[in-house]
Amino acid sequence: MKTRIKKGLAYRRIAGDLFIVDSQRAELHELNGPAALIWEGLAAGKTEAPIVSAIAAEFEVSEKEARADVKDFLEKLAEAGLVAAKQGD
Amino acid sequence: MSLKGENARAGSARLEIAGFRMLFKSDSVGIITALKKRYGRFLCAGGADCRFEVSEAAGRQNPFKPAVVYDKRSLKLKRGDFEAALDLVSGAGTLKTAASEQCLDAFLRSLLSSILLRSGGFMLHSAGLVKKGRAYLFLGKSGAGKSTLSKLAAGAGAEVISDEINLLRPGKGGFRVYGSPFWGEMRADGRPGGWPLGGIFLLGKAKTNGVRPCSKPEAVKLLLRCLLNFDKSQGAGAAVLANSAELLGKAAFSRLEFTKKDASFLELI
Repeated sequence: MKTRIKKGLAYRRIAGDLFIVDSQRAELHELNGPAALIWEGLAAGKTEAPIVSAIAAEFEVSEKEARADVKDFLEKLAEAGLVAAKQGD
Repeated sequence: MSLKGENARAGSARLEIAGFRMLFKSDSVGIITALKKRYGRFLCAGGADCRFEVSEAAGRQNPFKPAVVYDKRSLKLKRGDFEAALDLVSGAGTLKTAASEQCLDAFLRSLLSSILLRSGGFMLHSAGLVKKGRAYLFLGKSGAGKSTLSKLAAGAGAEVISDEINLLRPGKGGFRVYGSPFWGEMRADGRPGGWPLGGIFLLGKAKTNGVRPCSKPEAVKLLLRCLLNFDKSQGAGAAVLANSAELLGKAAFSRLEFTKKDASFLELI
């Protein structure tokens, strides 16, 4: 399954951290470290598998650990209403 | 865009705020009187960047929060007691509003916050003051001490730009802070003018005055929390982040620990 970023969000790296502005809900989210990398993977249209590989390589953890972390973070993003499962994938 | 050579009729008022010149023409004596009374120090002569044909309309404040719709060609602003449309190419616009200072104030805040944002600037909940020809802004949440700081600074002879809402935009040589007609507890009129930005402080209550460095993410978070923005589009969000990145690269951000007791904090700026 592919996860997509919700429409209408603006995001940008500033001073190393990634800031997400949800203007509709007047909310600001801040991501750093692996969370920012996962977000940028989603923004680039990547599926979960290459994001897991990138996290494993960048933070020197096993693929298994990275997969669990990515899954956990994607669930948190979904709970926060920032992403949704892409239809048809 | 500049509209020069307008024939001033009895019912017109021309304002310049934060470098934007706005002409308001109306047959309503009440509206023109309210504009001249409320923004008397910001009246100007000469051309205008935009002109509004203003008509009087009864309305309720509900909905209280203005809705802003911005596209490449037009800007639309709407609240219970005003409705405006501005053609961004020709500079021509219409405004229906109640003839009250409160309503005109809400309209102008909505208009200027949107124009500033799309011009690389900000309308910020903050205290602003001038020291040695440079402007300093103090960002803080409600209760952080913006009004107290402003009153203490004014009492010590410093010029206060506003104790509540300050207007910031990029110009030649960096960001500038502009005179603001939007005030809080001090209820002053403000005055037109522009000062180069000297620095931005995150305001916090403490037992002793002091200045500490602050991290850039910390500065971005407070900056965005203090931003006035009624535009809910993705473009507005992108502009907020782009402007913040620009400001962060060009301005010095620090944390001011402030006792709220006296104006000795001015020595630390």
